[in-house]
Amino acid sequence: MAVASAVAHRPSRLTRKRTRQAVLIWCFLAPSLAIFLLYRIIPLLWNVVLSFSYWSPLRAMRWAGLDQYEDMVHDDVFWQSLWNTLIFIASAPVAIVIALGLALLVSSEIRGRDVYRTIIFISYPLMTVAVAIIWRWLFDERVGLINYVARSLHLVDQPIQFLNSFVWALPSVIVANIWQMLGFYMIVLLTGLQNIPPNLYEAAAIDGANAWRRFRRITLPLLKPSLFLCVVIGMLNSFTSFDLVYVMTGGGPGRATELLVTYIYKLGFSQTRFDYASAVTIVFFLLLVSIAWMANRLSGGEAGAVERD
Amino acid sequence: MKRRTVLQAGLAGAATLAMPHVSRAQTRKLSYLTWNIADQEQLFKEEFADFRKANPGVEIEWLDKKGTELPAFYQTQLAAGTPPDVVDLQGAIWVEYAANGALLDLTPYLKKEPEVAKLYNADYLASWQYQGKNYMLPFYIAKTLLYYNKTLFKEAGLSGPPQSFDELLGDAQKMAKGEKTGFLTLNFDWLYWPLFKMNGVELLTPDMKKAAFNTPEAAAVLERLAKATDGGAINKISWTGRWVEPNGAFAGNTVGMLHAHSSSYFFVKGQGSWINESTLGVTQAPGYWATPTNHGFGISKNTKNPDLAWAFIKHVTSTQWATRFSQSRKLLTGNVAADRAGLESLRKDDPLGAQVLQTQLEHTDKFTGNWPLPFDAQLKDAFYPEIQNAVLGRKTAKVALTDAERAVNRVLSRNI
Repeated sequence: MAVASAVAHRPSRLTRKRTRQAVLIWCFLAPSLAIFLLYRIIPLLWNVVLSFSYWSPLRAMRWAGLDQYEDMVHDDVFWQSLWNTLIFIASAPVAIVIALGLALLVSSEIRGRDVYRTIIFISYPLMTVAVAIIWRWLFDERVGLINYVARSLHLVDQPIQFLNSFVWALPSVIVANIWQMLGFYMIVLLTGLQNIPPNLYEAAAIDGANAWRRFRRITLPLLKPSLFLCVVIGMLNSFTSFDLVYVMTGGGPGRATELLVTYIYKLGFSQTRFDYASAVTIVFFLLLVSIAWMANRLSGGEAGAVERD
Repeated sequence: MKRRTVLQAGLAGAATLAMPHVSRAQTRKLSYLTWNIADQEQLFKEEFADFRKANPGVEIEWLDKKGTELPAFYQTQLAAGTPPDVVDLQGAIWVEYAANGALLDLTPYLKKEPEVAKLYNADYLASWQYQGKNYMLPFYIAKTLLYYNKTLFKEAGLSGPPQSFDELLGDAQKMAKGEKTGFLTLNFDWLYWPLFKMNGVELLTPDMKKAAFNTPEAAAVLERLAKATDGGAINKISWTGRWVEPNGAFAGNTVGMLHAHSSSYFFVKGQGSWINESTLGVTQAPGYWATPTNHGFGISKNTKNPDLAWAFIKHVTSTQWATRFSQSRKLLTGNVAADRAGLESLRKDDPLGAQVLQTQLEHTDKFTGNWPLPFDAQLKDAFYPEIQNAVLGRKTAKVALTDAERAVNRVLSRNI
């Protein structure tokens, strides 16, 4: 009896193996988790604490309750920045549609398609600051190429002050952002297109489906994972387009191109209002989580899930 | 092993471990943070060597940060509790640090050594006072002035620079034709404020507790600025550009007047091949009002070597080194003798440049836009976007001023 009981309590070989595997997995994960904890979770929690406090590098922390959030409700700049951020995010689908068109073009049997692919992709690896400087020059009213061409073609009498105009500034920055991201979207979509089995198109053509129907019934549904990836990355990129806006317009004129991310920076580092900046950051974070959650739901709720054998 | 050998080995080990501490105690270290002046490395090295001669064993750790990087960098250092011993601060941001106890009050040092204060231009030195205490010594100084394009003035039939706000707008309108515009101003750090001040507009009440600018007079000024901007008399870059854009536009020889600080001259001259004594004029803005935009040296309150830091800032702002700095950088330092020598040599090399710098020493009793407020950055950020809204035609002057008043009063109530 005693021997049988001891055998029953002794961990089986399978259990020991699993324990060893688990330890090994945790050992491998530990450095990444430590970094994630140190640079993501702790700052996030610190942000939450700060958002309920009065604090600056020069002053001791005091409890503020909901004061910072109350301030936000009355802060016109916050609402303007939020609105601009949403417009900026909404521009991601426009870029994806253009990229899809380009991907379809460069996946067809046209001459020199590899050259076109390279030309379109080349904007993506450029540093965002470089992109911002290039576009600032292109939009410049005195020496900018766009105004030069427009005036040479007699399309306008006076140069358009793209980045200095309340009307044109945000669209101009969005154009620069789209241009930079276009190459990335195109490559992702091109990979998706190349993974669609050609026999599906052949079968559809034999059945008499025209190009539009083939696109709608075959290409779009099978491209859904690639499109979803583009949408999520496009949104995340829009949320964090700090350098592009900061270099091109600095958030101006007025607040015409102020995004939440540029506003947070200014609150923290220009106005030394780290406490209020933290509260805006928390709202910003919640917005980001909500949009990512919605996107995940729309894609079927399985984004990021690990496939098991 | 003998007990004595063990003891000797132990003592030798302890001595070896203690050595760095002993040598650290003998080496006094000063950290020195400057703002966008890395080009003066050679001069600084000479200054440091000279300082070390008088203060043996002192190690100077110099770090320079670019214009946009320094405030964030310095704040991070403050948050970490490791600010530099000596810091170069520009504009009004020093007030915030002084008011919140980050900077050392230099008044006792200045009282103890009255000959030091006498070295500097009294008006510039006074611009670093907060609540009667002096927190900075001048590193280099500048204030706004009016540059005018003599060729465009002549073409428009104008005999000389404007003497009033009315003349300024009138002259600007006369020069506005096609691509040409009449007037351009820098707008950061309240550099545009003399335009309001020359019309008697005040930003705040005398006790600095309420906004004072929402008046019919201010609305009239703003309306006129908006109208002039819309009509091309004022170049729109005035309200949207930062530094390079407005200065670059003036260098393009299509703008009649530039309201900017003395630093603009060297940039404009570098870009504008048309610039010489017969084509560019320099004068004070109407009413002689000007906004200072200075760099000064402060000492961190938690420095371990306050006396050494004081000796160091006295050294780098001394007549000998300020003169060298003035001559190599072609600027004014606030050190009276150094600036006299700097101007003297500049008169030979660049007479027009000397005229520009000369304006910086005149009417220094008429500074404006330099309110000693610890929350100046917040105030600027609350006020200026509404001014932009008005001058660029997005809001009427009255609505913009009302909105600005609300925003400014919110900042004041939050901070007072």
